[in-house]
Amino acid sequence: MTLFIDMMNSIREFLDTGGQVLTVIAGVICLMWLLIFERVYFYLKTYRSIKQSIIANWNSRTERYSWNAEHIRMANVSRASELLNQNVALIQSLVVLCPLLGLLGTVTGMIQVFDVMAISGSGNARSMASGVSRATIPTMAGMVGSLSGVFVVTWLQRTSKRRTELLEDNLPMAH
Amino acid sequence: MKKYLSTLFTTALVVSSASVFAQQASTLDELLAQLAEGRVAQTRQNKQREADFVARKSDQDKILSNAKNTRNDRILESTRLENKFQVNELALANNQDALNKRLGELKELFGVLQQVAGDTKSKFKNSVISAQIPNRGEFLDEFAQSMGSSSKLASIEEIEKIWFELQREMTESAKISRFEREVVLADGTKEQAQVTRIGNFNLVANGKYLEYINETGSVAELIRQPSGRYLGTAQDMTNASNSQVAFALDPTGGSILSLLVQAPDTQERIDQGGPVGYVILAIGVIGLLIAIERFFSLYLIGGRVNRQLKSKTVSNDNPLGRVLAVKDINKNADLETLELKLSERILQEVPKLTSRLTMIKIISVVAPLIGLLGTVTGMINTFQAITLFGTGDPKLMAGGISQALVTTVLGLVVAIPMVFISTMLNTRSRGIINILQQQSAGIVAERAEQGA
Repeated sequence: MTLFIDMMNSIREFLDTGGQVLTVIAGVICLMWLLIFERVYFYLKTYRSIKQSIIANWNSRTERYSWNAEHIRMANVSRASELLNQNVALIQSLVVLCPLLGLLGTVTGMIQVFDVMAISGSGNARSMASGVSRATIPTMAGMVGSLSGVFVVTWLQRTSKRRTELLEDNLPMAH
Repeated sequence: MKKYLSTLFTTALVVSSASVFAQQASTLDELLAQLAEGRVAQTRQNKQREADFVARKSDQDKILSNAKNTRNDRILESTRLENKFQVNELALANNQDALNKRLGELKELFGVLQQVAGDTKSKFKNSVISAQIPNRGEFLDEFAQSMGSSSKLASIEEIEKIWFELQREMTESAKISRFEREVVLADGTKEQAQVTRIGNFNLVANGKYLEYINETGSVAELIRQPSGRYLGTAQDMTNASNSQVAFALDPTGGSILSLLVQAPDTQERIDQGGPVGYVILAIGVIGLLIAIERFFSLYLIGGRVNRQLKSKTVSNDNPLGRVLAVKDINKNADLETLELKLSERILQEVPKLTSRLTMIKIISVVAPLIGLLGTVTGMINTFQAITLFGTGDPKLMAGGISQALVTTVLGLVVAIPMVFISTMLNTRSRGIINILQQQSAGIVAERAEQGA
């Protein structure tokens, strides 16, 4: 319990030194990883049953060569692909947002530094330190967040594409 | 006639000039005689003057001797005074020595007292306790002056008074006290209010932080109050009665709070961005309006399309329904014609779904670019200021720098939500288009098979 409280305290201190923008970045990263985990769960669990029902439906068809059959197959593949690609674009845009938010934090931090300079003169480096930490920490957090997401997003895109192709292969036409 | 007049005039002139000469000396001989006579008169006059001078000589001698006597007297007096001065000076030095000897350690004490009096005065000036006990530092001025001049000594009463005031400051700084006082409100009106003083840190009244202005001896509400969560504690402090409350105090005794007044608020910040900032905001507002309109229409269309997917009857109020209706219209067409008609219909539907989405995308790209433009113009302003005034005063450069930074912030503030919104809207519209393009033929086929 004390360990937990210590952890919460250090997190809160970190968020305080980073300012409000860091809180927003933390929110964005949390949302991004929630969506990523949802995707991973979908690929590993939910998608399996969907795929099997589509294949079973297709295999139970008696004729697989008419115009109707071809378009029904295409519609099925497209539906599955839509399900596979759900939220991937959103995750990608969140990955792009992270460094932008970091930049926002940098600039607001710089404004704070210049405020301090305007009020107390340029001599006092210690009074500028809080502004500088607000400028640098969000940039770092934004970079870390976006880097952590970049690889996962690429993996998600490739996986959904490959699974669509696999499904297509599993629904053979009878020519 | 004219000639006669001029002749007359000339004659008259000659006559008059002859008469002038006649008054002094009509002839040269007469002049000579006059001269001789004048010389005789002058000699007589000189003789007279000489006699007078000789007659007065004794007077002059008397005056001279008088002056000499006076001078001698003065010289005597001066030497006497000089001697006296030297004697006095010696006596004075002796006395001073004696005084210094007798003062001994007291002299150091007086030095310390003078210093303490000065320090205490400036301390009282800045202390909020002075708001409750006014004019307590006034005697200190006189006291410090009398300490400075060596001729006057401090009385025990005065020393004790300083002690008392210092002790009172210390005791009061440990207390939270309430007192009635006139307070200048933020709108300039004066009001009698109950002021709560927290040690020598802060003054609070009616849930607002106050500042003590020493120059006028008045207590004024801070024009700009700190943020809500701190104000809440001030309200608690005002309402509290003998219970413990959390309170956000300014440990510097009000100087941090007074800096708060100088910090610009959101409106002033945006104004610092200048015209470029307003352009970015205007673009942001346009983007937001487009986004809201798109959100509603896309979600309405999406809902109708979903309903159409589930229902068996074809309705004309949604894109999918209109595409499916193509099948009903061309009942007898062969498959290839039907496919062509379907894709034709889909091509008509797609622009309605994607319209204005590119606009949002463009805004999300353009906003940070305009922000960058503002940054560069701000830097140009800064360097202009440096060219004119040099780098000596950073405050002169502050305008350009804040413009540079604020426009960047505004650009990002507009761009970040726009990126997010454009992704969401794109996903939504692409979902519907997907249904139209890749699934409509399938849906038609499914319906055909079910109907068969």
